[in-house]
Amino acid sequence: MKEAGEFAWLLTFEGEEAAANEAARGAAAAILASELTGVVDVVPAARSVLVTGTPELDPDRLRGFETAPLGTAPVRAPSSRTHEIRMLPDGADLDEIASRSGLSPAAFLEVFVQLPFTVGFLGFSPGFAYLYGLPRAFHLARRGTPRIAVPAGSIALAGPYVGIYPASTPGGWNLLGTTQRRLFDLRTEPPFLFAPGDRVRFRL
Amino acid sequence: MTPVTPPRGLLALEPGLSTTVQDLGRHGWAAFGVPASGALDEEALRLANRLVGNDDAAAALEITLVGPVLRASGALDVAVVGGSFGPAPGRVLRLGDGDVVSFAAARGAARAVLAASGGFDVPVVLGSRSTCVSARFGGFQGRRLLRGDFLAVVSPPSSSSPPLFDDAVELVEPGDGDVVLRAFGGPDEAEFDGAQRAAFWGSRYRILPESNRMGLRLGGPSLGLQETTSRASEGTTAGTVQVTADGHPIVLLAERPTTGGYPKIAVVAAIDLGLLARTQPGRSVRFERISVTEARSLLAAREVRVRSFPGGRT
Repeated sequence: MKEAGEFAWLLTFEGEEAAANEAARGAAAAILASELTGVVDVVPAARSVLVTGTPELDPDRLRGFETAPLGTAPVRAPSSRTHEIRMLPDGADLDEIASRSGLSPAAFLEVFVQLPFTVGFLGFSPGFAYLYGLPRAFHLARRGTPRIAVPAGSIALAGPYVGIYPASTPGGWNLLGTTQRRLFDLRTEPPFLFAPGDRVRFRL
Repeated sequence: MTPVTPPRGLLALEPGLSTTVQDLGRHGWAAFGVPASGALDEEALRLANRLVGNDDAAAALEITLVGPVLRASGALDVAVVGGSFGPAPGRVLRLGDGDVVSFAAARGAARAVLAASGGFDVPVVLGSRSTCVSARFGGFQGRRLLRGDFLAVVSPPSSSSPPLFDDAVELVEPGDGDVVLRAFGGPDEAEFDGAQRAAFWGSRYRILPESNRMGLRLGGPSLGLQETTSRASEGTTAGTVQVTADGHPIVLLAERPTTGGYPKIAVVAAIDLGLLARTQPGRSVRFERISVTEARSLLAAREVRVRSFPGGRT
């Protein structure tokens, strides 16, 4: 556990990233469920949990959540849901993504829609989800030069992740397609489509 | 028929360079990628609110480099705390209907907070009235003020004005020399070698003009290329000094993204984030190492000071 601020601590988890992320999500859910005094934000990420709090937050009470062996913490958030996301295969990088995997665009998409994904964490911008579940053969580096504006709803690949851009923002990920679903909409309750731990499948 | 009373508030005759509604921030939503936002200078926000009789958490205006010119609708009190802007920094200005007051000229400071009695009446979004400029929501229509915007204030519970306080609030403003920021070691400090750490703690950096409410970019000697492509994203905190791939530090501020993948060499003590907010681009800063324990003590002492102002009101 490391200090990340006067009243902020980072808990980190070892191992292969998707497994470490699952442990991080489990720890985050357990910290929230424990209703510790003084907790403000609990932020699971790739292989860590950031806990920020008030001066009343006792860091000694956080330590156990980092060391608890896998399986002892409630790994699955009770509220985890499954989403079917309909996509248009209209991404500017579809051909390149497919050819890098040695597949035609149609063959790539056929495989892609059969893959089960898990929301590992959210970050970058409100509602932006990092999904795990991409086979290693499909891992791609970010683009050398980020685009100034990626279309809202873009489904994109970078490294081990599939991400969905909730709004039009600058972005360096490889664009596969788009969805009409809104990931962040203040007129709905809750305003976020995804929460960490949710399951996602794509449909054409 | 009773005449309709026009709402009390302030009309932006000139909006200023980058004027946004901010409060103590939008907390509890970081796990969904929502930036905290909120005033960069929390101490200034709380003291300005206290000067005009508001709760610490009331929404105020954060003004940047060139402040707004405002016309009062109805009688209200305003106070500017932080950098010196306008005719009476640190004091209550009692405005009458139609009074025009300019906060345009900054005298050496980058930012200040302008509070109005009652607090600005904008919708509460995800628990806060703060503007999130990057995601275009919160505050006044999710954006910086424009000419002609009218900001209503919340009606105070009674019609009587609070008593005027004679004491002026003066926060530390950047002096003539280097601005010294107290900081403690960051979560990734051990990843930097001895020479890199010595360079970081010993160098003078210039605040670059491309800085904004997400982060302050610092110009100066590069700490050397950083391996960042394989780093895992982690949650971020205000004051964190991350080092980019080309070796340059960025101090993360209130509107930073909630996660980031650059190594974090240090954390600016929260006690000095207000001073940093008041410091103009182009100025030189350097870091002075303190312990995290000392940083906590400094915050605790400030909390006592703020809560006792004015006259022991809490």
